[in-house]
Amino acid sequence: MRNPYLPLPMKLVKNFTETSDKLIHTFTLEFLSQEDAENFKYAPGQFAEVMVYGKGEAPFGIASSPTEKGILKFSVAKVGVVSTALHMLEEGTIVGVRGPLGNSYPLEQLKGKSLTIIGGGFAFTTLRSTIQYILDPANRGDYGDLTVIYGARNPGLLLYKDELAAWDARPDINLITTIDREVEGWTGRVGFIPTVTKEVAPKSDYAIICGPPVMIKFTLPVLVECGFTPDRIIMSLENRMKCGIGMCGRCNVGSKYVCKDGPVFTKEQLDKLPNEY
Amino acid sequence: MNTTEKIREIAKQLLTDKKVDLVVGFAQGSLPLRSTPYFARTPEQADNLIWSATCENNLANFVRKRSDKVAVIAKGCDVRAMVALIKEGQINKDNLTIIGVPCQGMIDRKQVCEAIGCQEILEATDNGNELILKGKGFEKTLAKEDVMFVSCKTCQYNTPVIFDELIGEALPGKEANYDDIAAFEALSPAERNAYIAKEMSKCIRCYACRQACPMCYCSECFVDCGAPAWIGKGAQRVDDNALFQTVRVLHLAGRCVDCGACERACPMGIKLSLLNRKMVKDVKELYGAEAGVNLTDPPALNTHKFEDKEDFML
Amino acid sequence: MIINKNEIAGILTKLAEEYRVIAPVKKDGLVQYAAIKNGEEACLDYANTKKPGKEILFPQSEELFNYTVSAEGVRMQDNVDKEATIVFGMRPCDVKSLVLLDNVFKNDQYTDVYYLTRRANTLIVGLGCNEPASTCFCTSMACGPFAKEGSDIFLTDLGETYFIEGISDKGKELLAKLGLSAASEEQKAAAAKLQTETKADGSINIEGLAEKLGGMFEHPFWDSLHEKCLGCAACTYLCPTCHCFDIADEAKDCEGCRVRNWDACMFPLFTLHGSGHNPRPGGKARWRQRLMHKFNYFVERYNATACVGCGRCIKNCPVNLDIRQALAEVRALD
Repeated sequence: MRNPYLPLPMKLVKNFTETSDKLIHTFTLEFLSQEDAENFKYAPGQFAEVMVYGKGEAPFGIASSPTEKGILKFSVAKVGVVSTALHMLEEGTIVGVRGPLGNSYPLEQLKGKSLTIIGGGFAFTTLRSTIQYILDPANRGDYGDLTVIYGARNPGLLLYKDELAAWDARPDINLITTIDREVEGWTGRVGFIPTVTKEVAPKSDYAIICGPPVMIKFTLPVLVECGFTPDRIIMSLENRMKCGIGMCGRCNVGSKYVCKDGPVFTKEQLDKLPNEY
Repeated sequence: MNTTEKIREIAKQLLTDKKVDLVVGFAQGSLPLRSTPYFARTPEQADNLIWSATCENNLANFVRKRSDKVAVIAKGCDVRAMVALIKEGQINKDNLTIIGVPCQGMIDRKQVCEAIGCQEILEATDNGNELILKGKGFEKTLAKEDVMFVSCKTCQYNTPVIFDELIGEALPGKEANYDDIAAFEALSPAERNAYIAKEMSKCIRCYACRQACPMCYCSECFVDCGAPAWIGKGAQRVDDNALFQTVRVLHLAGRCVDCGACERACPMGIKLSLLNRKMVKDVKELYGAEAGVNLTDPPALNTHKFEDKEDFML
Repeated sequence: MIINKNEIAGILTKLAEEYRVIAPVKKDGLVQYAAIKNGEEACLDYANTKKPGKEILFPQSEELFNYTVSAEGVRMQDNVDKEATIVFGMRPCDVKSLVLLDNVFKNDQYTDVYYLTRRANTLIVGLGCNEPASTCFCTSMACGPFAKEGSDIFLTDLGETYFIEGISDKGKELLAKLGLSAASEEQKAAAAKLQTETKADGSINIEGLAEKLGGMFEHPFWDSLHEKCLGCAACTYLCPTCHCFDIADEAKDCEGCRVRNWDACMFPLFTLHGSGHNPRPGGKARWRQRLMHKFNYFVERYNATACVGCGRCIKNCPVNLDIRQALAEVRALD
């Protein structure tokens, strides 16, 4: 019996301050053994429990893509005991990782389809994984047009700035970045995600959306207006979690456990569940 | 008219006249020797209100931080808690109507259980001074005063200290009696430790004591705090359980109204009021203060007097 | 098979040489499960234990693994309990609860090594209830005072003797080793009569309840149900089927351990997000979760009701919030 509670040891190789407010760091972790690296098979949208020895563990969406071999990336906001401890770790420290956990975005099912990916704030992590995966030369041909709408309060709070610049330069991705209020030197759009989505009026087969609850709330009707049916709107839920394997009982929405049956659900699935998340 | 009938009449009137939105009291419980907190919002619902020697919960818990107009059927200890809570800004007195009931003491089901060898009671009748208990193949009569809660046996404030209306005659207060605490104090430190360890080994950390306590209302209790984690969260370590109670009792210094709600709520039968009463006795002896006995005295921890003992300071 | 009651202690003492024997024991006024060395300690004349039988396989607090961090790296040691164990004299409701918990601790993807290893190494001797309490409603909960599901060996109290049945292969094997005498036809008949005729008085009709609750998430019923609830965990911790837990690290300097502790849906912290958002912010949502989990979500997930009718939550609730009444109210709604 494999023990799902035991973390794998990984080495923190990079502790990078991602945002101008310094509240979000991106951690790059390296597997200590080749075997672990090969066994850790994940897909974009999944998460893992990251453990700081002596402090505990907390669940974070995996920000790296399976196409980035040998490492895992997590972008973590400093909010609790574990995330605060993580922020203070020196590069070279050994941490623990339990996962991959949960389901993933249905990338097999999405093959041959055009996609709109919408993200807000620091919930962009598993979306980065997805975009990175699709843009990989081995996979790009499997997917149609790719539109990405990504917003943050101000330019400093956008994650992955180097990558955004690189994506922007590519012809095979339509990247729209937006910030809430005008700032000097900003050349992208200004406006909240729902408004910008309305302006862009994306026409794709599927939409994937991830962000703070209020953004989701106001963007969903826009997507419906744009013609996305509930089975073609894909979302990722967040709930307080502990075990990550569907046993400890706290992350349920109705009879579904967000940690195991989710975190990815279609709007169609969520519409059938109690509104308790 | 008996107390129950008077309660119903007053409650009905208050609800009919729309003087209050809600009357908090007790209704008949689902088991013998049990009543249950009840929330009457219509004159018809007021007919479900009762009064008996089983109205053990402290209803002050249900009137904290409310914005509606509430009347509460309250015994002496409930009112003491409400007075303390008014002083702590947790209850707006203008929205509260206190229907006071002089209380002769509530029955402790745990003592009843011991007195009858813990056979199952299927029927209980209260004839004033005695309880007649019936079960499969037995009938037993117990004197009520023998099976009263410890806190009721020593209660000095049977009659509510403030009220808008009082049902029945005020009862004379009893003399202060801390014999139980004096006996505990007379034990050696090792004996006291052993006693507390034995009691705390039963704790399951369900926090019924904290939740039942009208004065425990911190929005984040220190035991739940994760950063820093002041205390182990598990129940297996007696030291952690004892630490939880110790800090709780210290936090209630000068605030505990000695209602015994914590002990009544404990599903494991831990003798919790011993620790509280020790603190109550100390605060009274050292600072001459008692919580919730009138609206004028400032809370003990908010004052400093020249004659306050300071021998704990260096 | 049959055994005289006065022989039980001797057999338990002997078994305790080879196994960890856990039996109900009277201590400090409470009947609780405890490991015993001497069979005389076992108390089989009891209604039910204070704490439910789940604590044997799923202890209230349990160290999952410990670790030491040093310059060389991290050393981890997990603490899977593999000791061969006999639980003697567990009531059928508690035994049934373990059958229900099996669903939780092994799902299609993961196995809880700690629970399942104990489960595999534990033999359960169930003990029928001749006199169910007035708060018992096991008969309505796909269980009953003489339900044998989950027991490896089952005892029926015939007064001076116990009528003993081997239920599982594991149970039959152990019985074969004990060399007990065969029961007479009269004894067999007496046991059969007790087993079929004893019923728990409390009855709750749960037929169609799951479906009804399924359509009731937004019903005003929930607005008042919780009103008297104090928000403690007496009901959930003493419930044999409640299984929610918390995971926490306890560490000092370079040494630490990960522990899991029972947790409860009645606590606000249970679902509080790091952001401050709480999907179940008050008593209403928490009580709805408690009832829904037992009588709807669990049914949907595992096709069984997560209640065995032991009555502990009824007896131990500080405010007498009676789950039987709550269910009856649900049933009475249009």
